[in-house]
Order: sequence, then C-alpha cells, then structure tokens
Amino acid sequence: MTHLNPAWLHKKPAASSKHHSALSSHERIFLWFSRFVIWLVMILSIIPLWFVAEASFNPSNAYFSVSLFPIHPSLYNYQYLFQHTQFFIWVKNSLIVSITVATGQVIITALAAYAFSRLRFWGRKYGLMTLIILQMFPNFLAIAAIYSALAKLNLINDLWAYILVLLGGSAYNIWLLKRYFDSIPRELDEAALVDGATPWQRFTRIILPLSLPMLVVIFIFTLMGAFSEYILAGTILQTPNHYTLGLGMYSLISAQFAKNWGEFAAAALLSAVPLTIIFGLLQRFIASGLMAGSVKG
Amino acid sequence: MAQAEITAPRSEHPKPKVSRQRLREKPVAYAFLAPALITMALISLAPIGYTIYISFTNFDAFHFMEYQFVGLQNFIALFNPNDPLSGVFIPTLIWTFAFAIITTSVNYFVGLVLAVLLNNKNMREAPIYRAILIIPWAVPSLISLLAWQGLLNHSYGQINGFLHLLGIPGVDWLGNPFWARISILMVNLWAGFPYMMTVCLGALQAIGPELYEAAAIDGANRTQQFRYITIPAIWKMTLPLVIPSFAFNFNNFNAVYLLTGGGPPRPTNQFAGYTDILASAAYKMTLTFNKYDWAAAISVVLFIIVGILSWLQMHYTHAFEESDIS
Repeated sequence: MTHLNPAWLHKKPAASSKHHSALSSHERIFLWFSRFVIWLVMILSIIPLWFVAEASFNPSNAYFSVSLFPIHPSLYNYQYLFQHTQFFIWVKNSLIVSITVATGQVIITALAAYAFSRLRFWGRKYGLMTLIILQMFPNFLAIAAIYSALAKLNLINDLWAYILVLLGGSAYNIWLLKRYFDSIPRELDEAALVDGATPWQRFTRIILPLSLPMLVVIFIFTLMGAFSEYILAGTILQTPNHYTLGLGMYSLISAQFAKNWGEFAAAALLSAVPLTIIFGLLQRFIASGLMAGSVKG
Repeated sequence: MAQAEITAPRSEHPKPKVSRQRLREKPVAYAFLAPALITMALISLAPIGYTIYISFTNFDAFHFMEYQFVGLQNFIALFNPNDPLSGVFIPTLIWTFAFAIITTSVNYFVGLVLAVLLNNKNMREAPIYRAILIIPWAVPSLISLLAWQGLLNHSYGQINGFLHLLGIPGVDWLGNPFWARISILMVNLWAGFPYMMTVCLGALQAIGPELYEAAAIDGANRTQQFRYITIPAIWKMTLPLVIPSFAFNFNNFNAVYLLTGGGPPRPTNQFAGYTDILASAAYKMTLTFNKYDWAAAISVVLFIIVGILSWLQMHYTHAFEESDIS
C-alpha cells in the first residue's frame, strides 16, 4: 500500500543541478517555451484579482477606471461598508455557519469513516454503495422539498435550520476519509487489538492522531464549502439580518438600483484574503488527500 | 491467550479469536455510524424521497396545503414538445450538458498541459509557479464568481474598460445570450483549471521512473514515452476524479447563478434564462415562482442523470470492488 502514502507528493523533483548546465538546446528551448506559457497563465490568473483590489481602494465607482493603481486611493469603500451595510452581521453569520458545520462534519465523518474502514458489520457493503451514490447528489437538488418542509415547520429564516440542512451532506467526506484511513497500516491497530484496546481506544489513540492533517483538510474543505454555499442559504435565509456573507454580497452587487462595485470589492478583499491564505498553506495536504482517495495499484 | 492458541489443534489460524472480537464489534460499528446515519437519513434521504413524491403532485403556490397526486403529468409536460414547459426544459437540459462537458474537458485539458509543463525537472522554480497558479482555486468560488460579475459588467466593469483602452468596443458580456455563455465558460476555466492541474501533477509524480527507464532502453523517444506511458497512466489515475467533477459541474449552481443569475432572460419564457442550468432553473421555480412540482420533477430528472454517472464511475474505476477487498 506504499503508493497510498501521501509522502510522494512532497518529493522534490530529482536533483537536477548537475545536469542543468548540460541542457541540450532542444531542452532549453522547451524550458523557455514552458516558462512563457506559464507566465502568461499566471498573469491572466492574477490580473482579475488585482482589478478587484484596485477597485476596493478607488473611491469613485467610476466608469472605465482602468489603471493598475487607483489614482486617488482611499478607504472610502471600506468605511461605507462598515457604516452603511450589515457586513459585520453577514460575516458573523457566515462564521457561525461554517465553523459549526465544519466541526460537526469532522466529528460525524471521522466516526463513520472509521466504522467503514476498520469495523465489519452487516450492511457495510450497501452502506458504501449508498455513500458513493449519495456523494453525487448534492442535497440542494431536493430544494423544493426542503423549502416546503421548512415552510410548514415555520423554520424559514432560521440560521440553525440552515446549519442542520448543511450537516446532512457528509457522504463525500466520509468516502474521502475512509480511503485515507485505509492507507494507514492495519498492523498498527491490529497490534493494539492484541493488547486489548477497544475500538474507541484504537480510534482515538491511533487513527485520529495519524490522520490529523487529513482531518484539518476536511475541516477546511467543509468550511470553504459552507462559506461558498448559496443555493440553500438563498432558500432558507430571507431577510438581510439573517444573511450569510454570500447573500449579503450578492445583494450588494446585484441589487436593482445600487451597483456598489467598490464596496463589493472591499468586502471581497476582506473576506477572501484570510481564506485564500489558509488554503494556500494547506494546499499540499489537499493535493495528497485528493490523490490518496484515487490512486490505485 | 496466546498460549491457548499455540496448543490449539490448528494453531496457524488464530482466526476464531478475531472473528469473535469482530462479532462483538458489530453493535459498536453502528454506534460509530449513528450520527452520520441519522443526519443523512433525515437531511439527505428524506428530502430526496419527498422530492420524488412532490414530482408526482400538483404542489404549487395555489395548492400549498391541499395538493393532489397527478401521476406523470409533470414529466410529460417537461418532455412533450407540444407543452410550453418543454420549450424551456429541453434547451436548458442541452445547455446543462454542454456546460458540464465543455467546462470539465477544457479545465482538464488546460490543467493537464500546465501540469506537464510544470513537471519539468529543469524548471527549478516550478514550486513558485505552482503556488501562484493555485490562487484562483483558493479564492472562495462565491467571491470570485461575484467579483467576475462586476469585472464583466457592461458599463463599469474593468474588462470592458481594458478593451476600451485598446480601442476595442465593449462587449455586453452578461447581457447577450452568446457572450453570457462564453463568459460562464471562461470564468469557470479561470476558477477550475488549478484543481485539475493539482490532480494531474499528483498523478504525474506518482508515475515511477522505472517505466521511463525501461522505455528509454527499448529506444522510445520523449514523444513516444509521453504518448504511451504518461497519458495512459495519468488518465487511469485521474478518471476517478474527472467523473465526479463532471457530475459536480452538472449541478454547479454557483458557477451559473452567481455570474449571470441565469440571465439574460428568454423573451418567450419567464422560467429559465439563456444561461440557466437545470439546478438554477429549479431554484428559480421554487423561490420565484413557487412551482414546487416542476422544480421537483426537474430534480428527479437530475437525480436520474447523476445516478447514471455514479454507476459509470463505479463501473469504470472499480472503486467499489476495491473497497470491499479489505
């Protein structure tokens, strides 16, 4: 099972320094061609984000204000955002939702993935099959049913009803984590089994510590997913003081008479930068987690 | 206990003990599964069942409390060419397929090309490029898609402003049916290629060097090695992630709704705009028009299509068989 070990992803490319001076002209041309293509794609990837950052410091929602740096930079948009919108409430709601859902998902997922990976029980085979199928069905497809059921229960506009609905979509995470648990050598918990460790002890003392990086990845994945969730939020949360950040920002930019592009850009920068940095730091784990779930011998 | 086994008649098989242990584990297993089982049954399976039921009723704003079973009427309306509803359903279904196929394949292709270019051992600064190229994926999709809505705006967006600088007349990116679709595909390429690139890079680095060495001894050149070793190996490893990615794009509500809101609207039909995919059409039918019956029927069609995809995934990747060996 060594091919499932995520370590290979961190391997540096084979030492090349001693060959570097001996590149053939063919290889050198290809190298520079590759660099040219990559630089082009990098510029195209970054420019739009730079435009957003620029707009956030540009006080006028000016037409065709295209410059690499704002001509009269100011914090006006940020000031407006804090004073005249419910930005803080939206951020608070989004934080409550995404942290609660991510924590809940990690707990639910780890327990279920452990059972599927290490324990044998009646229904395991069909349970796994159900998981594969369920992971393909996002629960927002049942939006008409969810909306009408919540309307009848008088739970529309309730943040906790929304959180509960998001907690239901754990199939993909269970599947991902089960594969990761499978890659942890079985000899470890068999040794513990011989020593008389209960399933709970094997779970908390052996499996959980060894899979901490993957648990963090699932936490962040779910956090980002809940943060970016729009369709169920738009269905359940209906007044601005219950909005999550997504709904609030959509209302900033899409409201009929208020094209608050500058304020929107400020909000985007404030909320995207922390998440982007976290994601960047965890990217290696994410890559290895994804491949651990798919590579086979 | 170990001694007892050594003296037992078939000492090389200490199995009875383990299976007894496992027998005792069975109730424990259900305890571990309980939170997932309860939430999934309550919040995933029950609404799916309810959706299927609604799709056979006339449940809408006028029949909110007393709706009746109407059989296949909603499905017939979706597919019957003489029914006005099919006039919006069929084109939306075609666009949903087109969007999912084009987005997934173009993203995969661009991601693969970049991964191959980055996997050059002579490019020692490749990790830096990789970190920069991953940024569009790292920005929460909700924010980047809404930001693109602003950037592509006809009057104040900076994309048109940039074209203006170059002396090119602005394009009505989100207001013209053709350009709105092009915009959606471009923005989703921007947001989606880093994922495919990461997946392909992982697969590339997992190919053992022995294969290439053997091929080089046999006299295969670089192009042949790429064609006969790299491509098949990557394809085999990434397929289990490409099919779910297609299924994801098939229902990628955010990718459409946050950019265009499904618009521009069709003059002939209010229920779905030119860029609406089925998921966003179902959302509008639920929230804007309170046509729960049609929304449910569309969802059931989506369930069936995605179900076929799941089956294909299981069939081609043997995900299921592998999981059962252990």
